Amino acid sequence: MERSLKVLEQQRTVATPVRSDEQAAASRLRRILGERLLFVLFVAPNLLLLAVFTYWPLVVNVYLSFQQWDLISPVKVFVGLENYRFLLGDRDFHEVLRNTVVYTAGTVGGTLVLGLLFALLLDQRLRGIALARSVVFAPYVLSGAAVGIFWVNMLNPRFGVVGQVASWLGTVSPDWLNHPRLAMVAVILVSIWKTVGFATIVYLAGLQRIPQELYEAAMVDGAGALARFRAVTLPQLGPTTLFLVVVSTIASFQAFDLIKVLTNGGPVNATTTLLFYIWEQGFVAFNAGRAAAASVFLFVILAIISLLQVRIGERRVSYD
Amino acid sequence: MTRSLTRRRFVLALGGLSGAALLAACGQSEPTPTAAPASGSTAASPTVALASGTGTTSPTAPAVVQNTGSKVKVLYWGSYSGTLGEAEQALVQRFNESQNEVELEYQYQGSYEETAQKLTQALAAGTTPDVVLLSDVWWFKFYLNDILLPLNDLFAANGIDTSDYVDPLIEEGTRQGTVYWVPFARSTPLFYYNKQIWQEAGLPDRGPATWDEFVEWSGQLVKREGGNTTRYAFGHPSAASYIAWLFQPVCWQWGGRYSDPDFTIRIQEEPAVEAGRFYLASVRDGMAVPSQDLVADFVNGAVAAMMASTGSLGGILRSASFPVGTAFLPEGPAGFGCCTGGAGLAILKNKPQEVQEAAFRWIAFATSPESTMWWSQNTGYMPVRKSAIASAEMQRYFEENPNFKTAVDQLPKTRPQDAARVWIPNGDQIIGKGLERVTVQQEDPATVFADVAQTLEREARPVVEQLKRREG
Repeated sequence: MERSLKVLEQQRTVATPVRSDEQAAASRLRRILGERLLFVLFVAPNLLLLAVFTYWPLVVNVYLSFQQWDLISPVKVFVGLENYRFLLGDRDFHEVLRNTVVYTAGTVGGTLVLGLLFALLLDQRLRGIALARSVVFAPYVLSGAAVGIFWVNMLNPRFGVVGQVASWLGTVSPDWLNHPRLAMVAVILVSIWKTVGFATIVYLAGLQRIPQELYEAAMVDGAGALARFRAVTLPQLGPTTLFLVVVSTIASFQAFDLIKVLTNGGPVNATTTLLFYIWEQGFVAFNAGRAAAASVFLFVILAIISLLQVRIGERRVSYD
Repeated sequence: MTRSLTRRRFVLALGGLSGAALLAACGQSEPTPTAAPASGSTAASPTVALASGTGTTSPTAPAVVQNTGSKVKVLYWGSYSGTLGEAEQALVQRFNESQNEVELEYQYQGSYEETAQKLTQALAAGTTPDVVLLSDVWWFKFYLNDILLPLNDLFAANGIDTSDYVDPLIEEGTRQGTVYWVPFARSTPLFYYNKQIWQEAGLPDRGPATWDEFVEWSGQLVKREGGNTTRYAFGHPSAASYIAWLFQPVCWQWGGRYSDPDFTIRIQEEPAVEAGRFYLASVRDGMAVPSQDLVADFVNGAVAAMMASTGSLGGILRSASFPVGTAFLPEGPAGFGCCTGGAGLAILKNKPQEVQEAAFRWIAFATSPESTMWWSQNTGYMPVRKSAIASAEMQRYFEENPNFKTAVDQLPKTRPQDAARVWIPNGDQIIGKGLERVTVQQEDPATVFADVAQTLEREARPVVEQLKRREG
């Protein structure tokens, strides 16, 4: 033991006969500095892009939320918290927040439930299942504007397919997209139609990853189909579900193209969601301050939701 | 093998289809924004619209390729799509072929609203066009920010007498004696009716003299099948389709108004509310329907009559399969009322003088008596020059096409729009959404208009301050 150490020591002194402690420290520093430099070099381009196109606008946005500005005038008027005070007390803004919650809950809920249902159906080994999977997934790859125009025509009560179907049933179709309550229902249904394919594919992948022996063990324990679904399938899909909830929630908060084409936020404000409202205030009414303040609300809401989802994810979802 | 191919092909085909559908849909409303072709190719390709120009003295295209080196390039932003867009592009081409000094590049920007949005963004980015088409509700915002060039000197230098422009039209773009916004595609609301339905209903071939008369007639115009209405007498457009513009004259016909010129809001007062109640009743009683695409509903016979812009006339005549009638707006309890509308041309400040002068050449060309006649006959917008209206050619055209004459006859009876709609930022949409609450949600106009008035008053404040700074 002692000898071997000595030998090692000797070897070291032989290997670096002239190197002093200072030199060793310097080389270590150089190495560390070199690594740091390399790190900075690798990260800088990305960081710069983020700084210029994400963080800086964020800072400017917060600054603008304290101003009254029409996007053109050289004069920006400082108004303090007025824009926030206005939004908090504005009935239209309350409706917009309500719409956002309804739209998000409806779209995310509908997409997940239907997506799981389709995934379970498509998990069967049947003839033509590949085609069926493609059909379910297809709308997801279409552009929102194209889907919007397609459904505007479908939902036209007088010349659209729904009008035709209604007349076969001996009734008249409501004007879905121009109805105070049905407009939101229609927008949610079209959104689900467009995004359910994505949820289905992700769930399908999740289903196929569940080990078969869990089902076999459950069957040995005498669990029926429903019990197997509740005790094995659902918990095993936990991480998949969490991923889908996060992704779909963010996507529905960002929904714009579909709403713009389908209803333009109307009738009145019936389908105006937070993002649409921000666009409307900023680029239709040219009220930069109010749009910026509303953006801060959106930022805070999304931050809270993300945080909640991560927390829930840590506690409830098992990755085993 | 076949399976995976099927799947891939299917998705690919769908992608292709959606692309095609989008293109087709865009094609409906938006002509491809082909810029005016470079002069090298212009001589060879006169457009269809030009060829079908209705008999005006069209300057023949030069057969020789011109030297482009000495031309001043001018960038023009416009907003017209469909048949209007074709006419606008044809007019630009005519301009480019009519002279050798200026080359106008035309860029389509979307609706009036989108054009104003893009101009705002372009101002921030420093990439503005030289001359731009701005609608009645947008030019004032840019005037307030001192971005538009005063045009009096250019009018004088080009020997154009502004008093030949139709008075109410040029006056709208004049502030404190200076012209900033030149009338180009100006319109008024018209009463359109489906002559075939009129005939079936046994009604006289004319528009109703009063709204009361129209309500009487509506019993014969509305068609019901098994308790369901399959045809309405009248339709109300959406806020995005400018219901606030079309309700404005109705408001006047009831003796009300949106506001005074000094931004005192009047929409919450009784006469305006009463006009709102008329709209509410029209929907509640099943006579009228709120529509997201009113012109399509009219052209397809789902509504028997509507109010719409004169600028839609050309397109409606082309797409309707039945004879179309136009008439003055019906009178209300307080008599007749009608407003002007549409868009005009403005030149941007902070451009080289040479470019501004070249841009003015386009304005002078586009609003010249010859061009305004051609434009009017091809679109339905009104001729903006008195000499054009009085010309023998236009009078002959009116005789042959009485529908085009209605707007011009109605023009002297029009008055400028209320400040609340055209000068308050987003005023048009604020009022429009209020009207949707009445027509779509069937809310009480008294409550709705009180809300609208409150919003308008709030939004007017910055404008009043800006106006003080601008005009003293």
